[in-house]
Amino acid sequence: MAEAVPFGAESLAGGRARAARRVLDQVVLPGEELLLPEQEDVEGPGGAGERPLRLNAGARSRLRVVCGPGLRRCGDRLLVTKCGRLRHKDPGSGSSGGVYWVDSQQKRYVPVKGDHVIGIVTAKSGDIFKVDVGGSEPASLSYLAFEGATKRNRPNVQVGDLIYGQFVVANKDMEPEMVCIDSCGRANGMGVIGHDGLLFKVTLGLIRKLLAPDCEIIQEVGRLYPLEIVFGMNGRIWVKAKTIQQTLILANILEACEHMTADQRKQIFARLAES
Amino acid sequence: MAGLELLSDQGYRVDGRRAGELRKIQARMGVFAQADGSAYIEQGNTKALAVVYGPHEIRGSRSRALPDRALVNCQYSSATFSTGERKRRPHGDRKSCEMGLQLRQTFEAAILTQLHPRSQIDIYVQVLQADGGTYAACVNAATLAVLDAGIPMRDFVCACSAGFVEGTALADLSHVEEAAGGPQLALALLPASGQIALLEMDARLHEDHLERVLEAAAQAARDVHTLLDHVVRQHVREASILLGD
Repeated sequence: MAEAVPFGAESLAGGRARAARRVLDQVVLPGEELLLPEQEDVEGPGGAGERPLRLNAGARSRLRVVCGPGLRRCGDRLLVTKCGRLRHKDPGSGSSGGVYWVDSQQKRYVPVKGDHVIGIVTAKSGDIFKVDVGGSEPASLSYLAFEGATKRNRPNVQVGDLIYGQFVVANKDMEPEMVCIDSCGRANGMGVIGHDGLLFKVTLGLIRKLLAPDCEIIQEVGRLYPLEIVFGMNGRIWVKAKTIQQTLILANILEACEHMTADQRKQIFARLAES
Repeated sequence: MAGLELLSDQGYRVDGRRAGELRKIQARMGVFAQADGSAYIEQGNTKALAVVYGPHEIRGSRSRALPDRALVNCQYSSATFSTGERKRRPHGDRKSCEMGLQLRQTFEAAILTQLHPRSQIDIYVQVLQADGGTYAACVNAATLAVLDAGIPMRDFVCACSAGFVEGTALADLSHVEEAAGGPQLALALLPASGQIALLEMDARLHEDHLERVLEAAAQAARDVHTLLDHVVRQHVREASILLGD
């Protein structure tokens, strides 16, 4: 039913594939095709299809390029599937060609293995809790996945509690599973989050920016009021300060950070520090 | 209106455009903060708003879940004030259901649904003012909204309508031209590969003319693509500047 029929392909084939190297940090849109470095020399003026057939295909490409979010492999090329800026990270050592990905702005979270997220417990069924993480399915959390939990010593988790944990299973075919312990069996900051405080949602891009190693916003916020803060990669932030008013001020600042330039932010912090 | 000339001798249409000329298009992405993706488009006097939620859990019956791909659910609604005479039923009537099915067919061809099995993507389109080319405006608005939501797509989907008057193919019909009763065709195209996602016509047209009308619609869709491309790039640049890249 949903088949696409080629129409006058020779006149409409505007998909000029560009070299990925030359498009770094620029805006790319779905439908564009990118050439990996080892294909650029081969794709001469004659275009694709002129390469001699090699018997040992394994020896052709020494570089193994990892295709990150927003890119799909399409034959030999990379097809862009989301709009955003193209980024590249060099591997530093080893023979792999690095990672290419598209930095896109999104509000809806898709579970990824290893991500630390904040979830809300929605149901308790038998031995597992169902936790809403904002994705397309609720994640399951076993009651044994807490530090010091045994069959006799169950953790004190109720419906409606906030949980900070990480994904151990997260792919498109299976229900995501999360745990509140790391690989050594220690909590490491994960578990049930305290009862006070405020949980609010921001976009995923803002979370990634706030979690970058030297983020000015977090340092400035820390100098303003003493606070506790938890960042979930699913776009949720939990914040708690001494009074409700301070908590609300912090929540509003973090939500507004997305739409403010650095100067406007500094002005607001200066005004708050005075009062 | 008796004697209304859809195409004058000098080649001008009722609103002063040339045969292959599009109406003025203005579009904005990210108009709603609560929805995952949203967009607003104005194509001449036709105004359409699209909102996208997803991919999220299947609502309603679990049996509708597809094990290998996402379910795309489209709803079309036209406001009661969108036409000259006030419409009684904004949604649920036959035309709205049919439009919803056509939009669903269009977007199932473009969205990479295999990446989100057993989930649902909702696309809601509302027409605020209908002046011809409502299907095309809905598709263009929905494409921008899906891009704003970050749902992976194979390519843009750009749509345009086309008609045929006195041997000339007209692109992007307005309401006056549609009401005149000539053949009209709606085309949704994936521009980079030139593939057709949906082609719809329910009038009688001689097959000798089909090629010309199809080419006019395809060229207009590609022009729309150029404009939407510009809108998306602008939006991404503004968003990344604020995030401090």
